[in-house]
Amino acid sequence: MAALLELNDIHKSFSGVHVLKSVGMEIHPGRAVGLAGENGAGKSTLMKIIAGIYSRDAGTVRYKGQEVTYSNARQAIDAGIAVIHQELNLLPELSVAENIFLGREPTRMGKIQWDYVRSESRKWLEALKQKIDPDAPLGTLSIAQQQMVEIARALSLNAEVIIMDEPTDALTDIEAKILFDVVADLKQQGKGLVFISHRLGEIFEICEDIAILRDGQMVHTGPTSQITENDLIRHMVGRELSDQYPFVPAQPGKIRLEVEKLSAKGFSEVSFSARAGEVVGFSGLVGAGRTELAKAIFGANHITGGTIKIDGQPVTIANPRQGIANHIGYVTEDRKSEGLIQMHSVGENMSLTGLSKFTNRFGVVNRTSAFITIDEFVKAFSIKTQSAASLVQNLSGGNQQKVSIAKSLIPGPRILILDEPTRGVDVGAKREIYSLINTLKAEGLCILLISSDMPELLGISDRVLVLSNGKLTGEFSREEADQESIMRCAVAGQ
Amino acid sequence: MKKLLGIAVGTAMLLGTTAHSMAADTMALVVSTLNNPFFVTLKDGAEAKAEEMGYELLVLDSQNDPAKELSNVEDVLNKDIKVLLINPTDSDAVSSSIRAANRKDIPVVTLDRGASRGDVVSHVASDNVLGGEMAGKLIIDTLGGEGKVVELEGVPGTSAARDRGEGFNKAVGASEGIEVVASQPADFDRTKGLNVMENILQAQPEVDAVFAHNDEMALGAIKAVQASGRDIVVVGFDGTSDGVAAVEDGSMLATVAQQAGMIGAIGVMTADKIINGESVESYTPVPLKLVTK
Amino acid sequence: MNIKQFASDNKSLIGLIILMVLVSIANANFLGVDNMLNILRQTSINAIIAMGMTFVIITAGIDLSVGSILAFAGAVCASLIAADMPLVVALVMTIAVGAALGATSGTIISFFNVQPFIATLVAMTMIRGATLVYTEGRPISTGSFDVAESFYQFGAGYTFGVPNPVIVAAVVFLVCWFVLTHTKLGRYVYAIGGNENVARLSGVNVTAVKISVFAISGALAALAGIILTARLESAQPTAGLGYELDAIAAVVLGGTSLMGGRGRIFGTIIGALIIGVLNNALNIMDVSSYYQQIAKGAVILLAVVVDSRGKANA
Repeated sequence: MAALLELNDIHKSFSGVHVLKSVGMEIHPGRAVGLAGENGAGKSTLMKIIAGIYSRDAGTVRYKGQEVTYSNARQAIDAGIAVIHQELNLLPELSVAENIFLGREPTRMGKIQWDYVRSESRKWLEALKQKIDPDAPLGTLSIAQQQMVEIARALSLNAEVIIMDEPTDALTDIEAKILFDVVADLKQQGKGLVFISHRLGEIFEICEDIAILRDGQMVHTGPTSQITENDLIRHMVGRELSDQYPFVPAQPGKIRLEVEKLSAKGFSEVSFSARAGEVVGFSGLVGAGRTELAKAIFGANHITGGTIKIDGQPVTIANPRQGIANHIGYVTEDRKSEGLIQMHSVGENMSLTGLSKFTNRFGVVNRTSAFITIDEFVKAFSIKTQSAASLVQNLSGGNQQKVSIAKSLIPGPRILILDEPTRGVDVGAKREIYSLINTLKAEGLCILLISSDMPELLGISDRVLVLSNGKLTGEFSREEADQESIMRCAVAGQ
Repeated sequence: MKKLLGIAVGTAMLLGTTAHSMAADTMALVVSTLNNPFFVTLKDGAEAKAEEMGYELLVLDSQNDPAKELSNVEDVLNKDIKVLLINPTDSDAVSSSIRAANRKDIPVVTLDRGASRGDVVSHVASDNVLGGEMAGKLIIDTLGGEGKVVELEGVPGTSAARDRGEGFNKAVGASEGIEVVASQPADFDRTKGLNVMENILQAQPEVDAVFAHNDEMALGAIKAVQASGRDIVVVGFDGTSDGVAAVEDGSMLATVAQQAGMIGAIGVMTADKIINGESVESYTPVPLKLVTK
Repeated sequence: MNIKQFASDNKSLIGLIILMVLVSIANANFLGVDNMLNILRQTSINAIIAMGMTFVIITAGIDLSVGSILAFAGAVCASLIAADMPLVVALVMTIAVGAALGATSGTIISFFNVQPFIATLVAMTMIRGATLVYTEGRPISTGSFDVAESFYQFGAGYTFGVPNPVIVAAVVFLVCWFVLTHTKLGRYVYAIGGNENVARLSGVNVTAVKISVFAISGALAALAGIILTARLESAQPTAGLGYELDAIAAVVLGGTSLMGGRGRIFGTIIGALIIGVLNNALNIMDVSSYYQQIAKGAVILLAVVVDSRGKANA
């Protein structure tokens, strides 16, 4: 069958850096291509060229047999190419329906036909099995629901080619499953799909073909059936990853954190304890209250009931400042809006939380000692940056995550809360983060790990707690824990 | 002290009304701004005269904002006033206020600044062109008909700046030996008068006299002249209390005194004639006074 | 650092130099030492206000109340001097009044979550009103005690041949530069403007820092009011009208983003100088009043356009 979309010999450079080198790729109707590659391999750039957001330096794009050049995203959308972006490109102040029809509101004699907008929005959301009110302001939805809205928007364009850039990153397994059903429908309708994901299992589950980018070059293309997961990883990183989750058994120390009947927005009466030198994993669906629990312990969310004890002493934590003063570190799931100041440098970000360590009693910062510490962390975490003065926004997701972790480590926490530490991080950097967690554990830190990536959670944690609908519904030792029983607890309170 | 005075005035007014055994007629005065001492004096003059003649005077401040002025006028038109005295913020912008009064058949008297449209029964103002001419002639006489002169202009586009400048330039233009070396705006503001004069002194090695369109700018210019140590005479305009004080201590040659209080008082007297059905002139010039030591 | 990098980092400085070269070609009096000191003296008022404004703008705020604080502080200072207060006491008290007024705006902004634009607009109106009430609409003279003469010297005199306001502005510059680049407070100011959420989660006491920046802005506006009052030997109730806009223009001309998170105090000085040189040039070249405002607007527009184009290309 002829390709729906065909890329040949695509080149692209940004300020002298050659990011795509002679890339070719085909998208066929009724099939999904899984596009894999480490962060910075050029996946997003390639997709933005298809979508008309970037112009190519050389090469050809053929769409339905015709050579095409789109100079902006509008033209590509009109031609039938839709993209579900990794970063949500939605406006939180507008309603769900307004977002879905943004920029193409149907009008009659200049008046927007809101009834039509609403009913169409409802239709597409129902196709995704979402009970979302089209009139609700988008900002009131969870990240996962917002992602579903973004998907509904792309579907409502009735595009021939649909590109999904990390669509499941913010979704729980249940929502991901719904999405995969939709993908199967779309294939049935003869649409051509591109599916980008760091979760390699998903690619094997839904894609007929696989294309692998490494350092701007297409290193492998072919049917999924002819490649194993290990081959795929080898192609992506150019080396063997023998052990994806390097668990190191450790001797848990004394009890460091005790949470008793803690309640706050998003969860209630949660009790658990965690020891020094232990990684406690938190599993649950999106919206189960894991992030809210983490933020409440850290002081970012207001506690409405219950107590927190650290090393046996009850503590009062009313704001992040007190959380940090009580030796708690929190690495957020949302790097962009909560973790790092994108327009500031690596060094400025890294030293922000622990700035007091470098400050004398007159409030003067000793820049030399701060610089030495920053430099140590850049080296120890092998953060790929030109210098500590480079802006965070120019770093890849994995390197940003390392900066974010270093930032919360500088004050010297005894309890470290990691909220989705590997989201949007490539395979190589993931491994580095895992071994970092192991090192910190060995140094006696008490680590709370929140992750929606089940194999990761099982691979790294000493113990797994499961939250559902704001309640603690299960606790498993490393030996007991398996995907099925955790999932049963995760849906138990639904 | 003020309280006592207030009680005294209140009692006097009360006595006044009982003496006439009827409610006092009300007139309204809408002033362009009470941030400027000149208009405060104008208001004081009007208030004193109104009290003397047994009228109740409502005073509203437009804060130099034509929109505020219009709403002030609309407000007072809803009260039972006999005459509207208005000191416009702007000759053009005031027209809609005046038309609003015309529609309600309330006679209008403009003070100090005129109105370009609408029916005005009488206009009370000092003659700014004449005042500018007086200042120009004084400078010519003082310099003996020869010298270099700087003019500090008011807010560009205002009638006061236009008229005073016109009169001044008419006078100095007629004199062969007088040269105007710089005409720069300082927006009727003392700080700007200082800065602009400093700048001009940098550019002009020889300056013998300064004419400022108001006393505020003149007082600023005097600071600049004193700091430069040069010998330059300064003439202001308006005769504000600070300006008169500067004339008395010798730092300012003269100020062309607008008799602000008299403008207010004559305005009230004109209004009184209108209420009593007497005929009034369409323009009542208020004499200017050259204040010198 | 190469030349290209230097040029792109210091666009406002280069703009100032070009402006000065053009004016000096047009008028021979411009480049004289006297006129340069004259420009510096006139610029120092706006520069001092604008440096305070820089702190606020880096936190992504705005302070519209500086002109009113200047007038109120001037009136307070004039009456203290007229009451024969010792000079230092009068200065310290006046600056404290300015800081307190600024801190009040900052408190309202932080605790009641009011937009800085609205909160300081309210402050601007109310403080101007308070000034009129306090002065009864008339200038307040600094009186005739001996202290009035030393107060006048503070604003109008010279030290080592340099006008005193210029020295005050230079000291303020050094302190502001040090605070912004070398202290925890400075780093927190940038962090809050960069991303308030991140700053809060990083343990920054956002409320305290915001109150501090508005207090700094208020204190510096009061200092500017002191200098203005000293130079004129009297406080004007209408002093400082529209000064907030000149200060904001200086900050923006200096390359500080109104979106917050970045900016330099040195840039603000350059921005203030561009405005000062322009005012001076228009006067000494005897440009007709009707064209002056067009010229000023055009220069500011040009500077901002060049700056934003540079950012888009970076």
